[in-house]
Amino acid sequence: MTARTRPLMSTQDIVLIALFCAIIVALGLIPPVNIAIVPVPITLQTLGVMLAGAVLGPVRGACACALVVLLTVLGLPVLAGGRGGLGVIPGPTGGYLLGWIPGAYVTGLLVKTFALRVSRRGPQLAAYFAACVAGGLVVVYAIGIPWTAVSTGLGMGKAAVGALYFAVGDTLKAAAAAAVAHNVRRSYPIEPR
Amino acid sequence: MRMSLYVPGTSPLHRAGARWKLAALLLCGVAVFLTTSVAVLGPAAAVALALLLSVRAPREQLVRQLRGPLLVLAAVVAVAALTESVHAALVVGLRLVVLLLSALSVTLTTRTSELQDVLELVLRPLDRAGLVNASAVALAVSLALRFIPEVFRQFQEIREAQAARGLRGSPLALVVPLVIRVLRSAEDIAAAIDARCYPPARTGDLDRHERLSGKAPG
Repeated sequence: MTARTRPLMSTQDIVLIALFCAIIVALGLIPPVNIAIVPVPITLQTLGVMLAGAVLGPVRGACACALVVLLTVLGLPVLAGGRGGLGVIPGPTGGYLLGWIPGAYVTGLLVKTFALRVSRRGPQLAAYFAACVAGGLVVVYAIGIPWTAVSTGLGMGKAAVGALYFAVGDTLKAAAAAAVAHNVRRSYPIEPR
Repeated sequence: MRMSLYVPGTSPLHRAGARWKLAALLLCGVAVFLTTSVAVLGPAAAVALALLLSVRAPREQLVRQLRGPLLVLAAVVAVAALTESVHAALVVGLRLVVLLLSALSVTLTTRTSELQDVLELVLRPLDRAGLVNASAVALAVSLALRFIPEVFRQFQEIREAQAARGLRGSPLALVVPLVIRVLRSAEDIAAAIDARCYPPARTGDLDRHERLSGKAPG
């Protein structure tokens, strides 16, 4: 009886979610590129978040990100630089991590409703890019910035300035994610869900 | 690669039950935001530090876990001190220190399996209400734990293969083949799991019974 009321998830969906969660973690393990001066490493982890939405679709993409969050809370070093543990969530950057979940959902939804309806290559790539920016930047920052402001007691303005520092790298990553998702779809299409 | 942050030991924190540690941590997280008194937050930070030291974790692990957050913390405190007041900076700094150190103490002293048990405990009522499928969540967690080293190994394999062909590309050139490999393997893995009837069917789980007896399409 209960099976009827909950959304159906096949074993393959669960496997895809777990595998993409593993991709997001593995991308965080790749040695980060340091942008000079400021000691904040730029990793490919958020690229994996955008890819999860763009390749798997909204529901499974969001589930893959939720699984990363769950593993973090379970005390596994799954975040970039081998970080993890419960302390990440209430910390200043916790909102960005939680923002991945709706971020991947929005990216997946936009890809599903717009990018896949376009047949020409150029506009399709542009639609992928827009979806990655909307989900991976706009939504993630919309949760991350107020979270930083509350967690640190600084104003929204100052938290937003801190976020701007990452925006350049994240825009580049959105472009990369769009190209990768487009390529993957051409060579191994799966139905986004 | 080491997959858990757990440090074996016999300190009081190690011996405390996981659910009590998590409940205390949750309360502590709420409490630090209810006060702005340095007289309360200061001793709280000292207690958190004492707790962390009682764990006796290897120094390199502490450095690795704390370096990043402490840099962020230093920046936040500096900005708060410059733009608001020294008192505000102290409150913010102490609050984050309490959260950071106490959460790390719990993380270091609790096995992943214990945390998984607590997770199951939390999910059980939600499962009964039909909101989440606890066995699906448990399957996803254990699959992810199994696949993280595997995906990383595949990543290095692709990198070596490309290097052997003289390609010294960006990590991006690696991501496309990695994702395709992973998507392709998903089908086989799912078939293997289904063949083993996992997760076990529960009473009342009609859909699964139908599928196993071949009545349902697909």
